[in-house]
Amino acid sequence: MIRHECLELLATNITNQLVVTSQSGQRIEWSQLSSHEGNLLVGMMGCAVGVGMGLALALPHRKVIVLDSDGSVLLSLFNLATLGNLRPKNLVIYVFDNGVYSGSRISYPTATSGNTDLEAMAKGAGIENAHTIRNVEEFKNKGIEALTRDEPAFFVCKVEESLMHREIPRPNTDLAENKYTFVRYLERTEGKPIPFIGRG
Amino acid sequence: MKEELAKRIVQSLKDAGIDFVTYLPETRLSQIVPLIQNDPGMELIAAASEHEAVTIAAGATLGGKQAAVYMENTGIYVSSYSLLTVGKQLGVPLLLVVGYLGGVPDQRNSFLYATIGNHTIPVLQGLGIEYMVLESGEKLETKIKDAVRAMNALRGPFALLFAGEFSI
Repeated sequence: MIRHECLELLATNITNQLVVTSQSGQRIEWSQLSSHEGNLLVGMMGCAVGVGMGLALALPHRKVIVLDSDGSVLLSLFNLATLGNLRPKNLVIYVFDNGVYSGSRISYPTATSGNTDLEAMAKGAGIENAHTIRNVEEFKNKGIEALTRDEPAFFVCKVEESLMHREIPRPNTDLAENKYTFVRYLERTEGKPIPFIGRG
Repeated sequence: MKEELAKRIVQSLKDAGIDFVTYLPETRLSQIVPLIQNDPGMELIAAASEHEAVTIAAGATLGGKQAAVYMENTGIYVSSYSLLTVGKQLGVPLLLVVGYLGGVPDQRNSFLYATIGNHTIPVLQGLGIEYMVLESGEKLETKIKDAVRAMNALRGPFALLFAGEFSI
């Protein structure tokens, strides 16, 4: 299974969910597959799960999806303990675990190529609904199905390293532009202003 | 700190529009935690790291909350990466409510804290984060309101460093 196959499936299931992406390949692949205004392309490792949690807590009636990677989750492992205690019912996290720091261009292994099991760590941190997914069928049956449930979910999607994202033009939407598109989309769909925008 | 000051901090945060607080507790201002927790108008979220506290608060702000992050000044060092990326680069307002250990006005300063305090303001300046040092309760309400207005206008983090009377 490669990440792009999962993202293709996910893209056909996006309606009004909010999607937060981390750095690396999935940001580029997701930008190509989805022009959804509810996409927030947080282009930094180790930040997407936290931002996703904040959104999920602020908007408990909206489903929030986080697309992350093994390297990024390993950078912010404390997120697992906080998630395991907060358990926001509207948050679904997909960790595309290719076992390497692919963005480094030398693809050296992450800890998940060794002895580290992110599903076991998530469960140990209190995230009961944590699963490892190993093929597209499972991604469809468990991963996509989780979007219809009112409970938190944490999926470790074991994928082969794919360099497809290097062939895709990088998104040219800058961070501020993306942020304002996202916030304006929220204002429209929530029917209320986002306070920090204010008036000039 | 006197209980009265803790109450005034929390009331001022609320009056300035803060309705979401992430935190990692510390010693100087910890009396504010139960006050926030018991206030139905404010949501209090415990984080396991100040880096995480900053990212959760940033997500909540984008989702329509007005967020503060309560931390010790050592948390500025821990969260400098997320303050720079989600705070400054993405441009998300965040009020940093900081126990300023080891600064000159820290009334409980000692060799344990002085180095930590000595680097706080240079690091904030290096990150390009504006700040205000509060040493007494004088005009506390106005200063907190000013800080919230500044963070929204700047579209980024603004730090309030509490020492002096707040550190007794």
